Amino acid sequence: MSEGVEAVLYDGVSSRPIEARVSVREPNALAVEHGNERFTWPLEHSGLQWERTRDTLRISFGEFPRRVLIVRDPLFIRSFVLRMRYTGRQGVYDRLLGVARSGPLLFFLGVAVLLVASYVWLLPWAAEGVAVLMPRSVDQQLGAAAWGTMAPTLDEDTARSRTLQRFGDALQLSPDHPLTFHVVRDDQVNAFALPGGHIVVFTGILERMDRPEELAALLAHEGTHVQERHSTRMLMRQLASYVFLSLIIGDASAIAAVVAEHADNVRNLSYSRGLETDADRHGMERMHSRGVDPDGMVGLLNLLQEEAVDLPAAMEFLSSHPLTAERVAEAERLAAQLGDPVVARPPLDGLFAALTTPEVKEIPVGTAAE
Amino acid sequence: MELLTPQHRLAFKGKGGDLFAVLIVNWLLTLVTLGLYYPWAKVRRLKYYYEHTELDGHPFHFHGTGREMFIGFIKAVGLLVLLYGAFFGLAMLQEAWASVLGFLVLFGGLLLLLPLIIHGTYRYRMSRSSWRGIHFGYRGDRDELYRICLRDGLLTLVTLGIYGSWFTINLRNYVMSHVRWGSSQFAYKGDGLDFFLMNLKGYFLTLFTLGIYGFWWQKDLFHYYVDHLSWTFSDGRRLQFKGTATGGGFFGLIVTNVLLVIFTFGIGYAWAEVRTMRFILANIALVGDADLNNVAQTEQEHKGALAEELGDLMDIGIFL
Repeated sequence: MSEGVEAVLYDGVSSRPIEARVSVREPNALAVEHGNERFTWPLEHSGLQWERTRDTLRISFGEFPRRVLIVRDPLFIRSFVLRMRYTGRQGVYDRLLGVARSGPLLFFLGVAVLLVASYVWLLPWAAEGVAVLMPRSVDQQLGAAAWGTMAPTLDEDTARSRTLQRFGDALQLSPDHPLTFHVVRDDQVNAFALPGGHIVVFTGILERMDRPEELAALLAHEGTHVQERHSTRMLMRQLASYVFLSLIIGDASAIAAVVAEHADNVRNLSYSRGLETDADRHGMERMHSRGVDPDGMVGLLNLLQEEAVDLPAAMEFLSSHPLTAERVAEAERLAAQLGDPVVARPPLDGLFAALTTPEVKEIPVGTAAE
Repeated sequence: MELLTPQHRLAFKGKGGDLFAVLIVNWLLTLVTLGLYYPWAKVRRLKYYYEHTELDGHPFHFHGTGREMFIGFIKAVGLLVLLYGAFFGLAMLQEAWASVLGFLVLFGGLLLLLPLIIHGTYRYRMSRSSWRGIHFGYRGDRDELYRICLRDGLLTLVTLGIYGSWFTINLRNYVMSHVRWGSSQFAYKGDGLDFFLMNLKGYFLTLFTLGIYGFWWQKDLFHYYVDHLSWTFSDGRRLQFKGTATGGGFFGLIVTNVLLVIFTFGIGYAWAEVRTMRFILANIALVGDADLNNVAQTEQEHKGALAEELGDLMDIGIFL
């Protein structure tokens, strides 16, 4: 035995391991010798393949069944890898893996920061972009489907719905989506909007109102959800983060999946809080431009505040609606800023009276509503 | 170099940090390519397991490539899209007969695919695995596998699942007994009744001990899978596989792994995985006197990873 380092050779014919010595012969070949036999494998031959783990180098050569050489000498492995990299046989993957291996946790943190950044900024931006590109008819289909399944479970007061429709139409809240208003008999102090234009107001909130401005504020708020396509945007964002998270976590672990899901929920909640503030603000601006005193929003929010037991301040982060007290303050500030409307208010008092008094069912169309 | 010992041992030489590196790079590339890298990632991961698994100090090797896995992946996705497409297409007709037909097409199709997946996955996996330069191979007959699956599947249905134990063991007996390594041959000889009684005992004792016995049940299962496996060479000599794991060992492994994963928010997954591999392989001994040096290459190259990917997409764990 002469030059070279120890290696094990498998000839691909039998399972017997053959003790061999291997060295790199200049200019560019691998010299293998065992017993009295000697042969060389050209390093740039396409039939030569190599793979390494941390402490094993596996070189194989030829057609199936391939001859295989296992080398465990660290110095040989290092110089071999350096040489092969120099001759351009090292792929992107190996380079990436090399970096990852030299500091796995650091690499992981780098990737994680990148991912979190794209999750927090890039993904919502892209999702919103897609949502904006989607035709408004998608909103309408979504809303119609949701309303179709919901309607049978709700006790709608159709007569009052028609009155509310006239009230809403007078305000011209959503130029791009026709709005359909529904009054539902229910004691909850609540109202909600579906994408595409169904707006549901419970009698519970309606009968606690004092002024038409408050109802206008409520409809303006919900109308903003529709006009600004909040549901669709929210849906796209949730869909995007769902796909993103399942892609990242893949088959990793159930625990990571649960953690991620909760983090996602918290994020969605804070986003939906943002949407509520948005709806307040845009609603007030719209009221103002339609001649309705934006101060009605303050009244509405005060009414909500009386009804709702506010969450303690520390919980605000987890709440989908911003604390009513804070919303009131914000609304007061904006109302002061907007000032009195410059155009005349549409006639709403008669309609409002009909809506908030349970006995009076409907005002025939055509009678003076003031 | 003394290569012939009366006792042969398996060992896993992987390290948590190294596997972690492989997994994050996989993860990153899969993400950047919107999932298209998945087949390559799978190959990288499998290779890591194979290269670090050693028998008598010689590593195994996985020969599969991302490209062939990718082709299998695309075909598998296409097949599933076709089946689900037919199902939903028929359901859209909103006719009773169409829904029934759609249901039959989907579930019948998936059921008929099952033996095909097992067969194809074994053929592919085995042909792509080697040790000491000699390839493994699977020589089972597809039609025979269909017969077993149809017969036992039906019996399992009729007996409300009880026959499932026999089904599992019959399948295992057939499949594992058609695995070979060059000119040597594996055999698995399990018995459905033993397996059933063992699981019955395991189930009730686990229930009575509020889960504690689960670790010992796990040990029993492990032993059942290992102890009935043997390896015969062309000269007639035989190696018997023997499990050496204990219930206490499983207890320690599982409890620490769960803690490891929970308290690192999943980052410790790679380390847990390595601990499991080490534990399992360290607890498989091969007993007997056989000459591992005299095995000849016998298997041809086999191509196609459709079944492997189909099984993966359908989330079928293939026992290996």
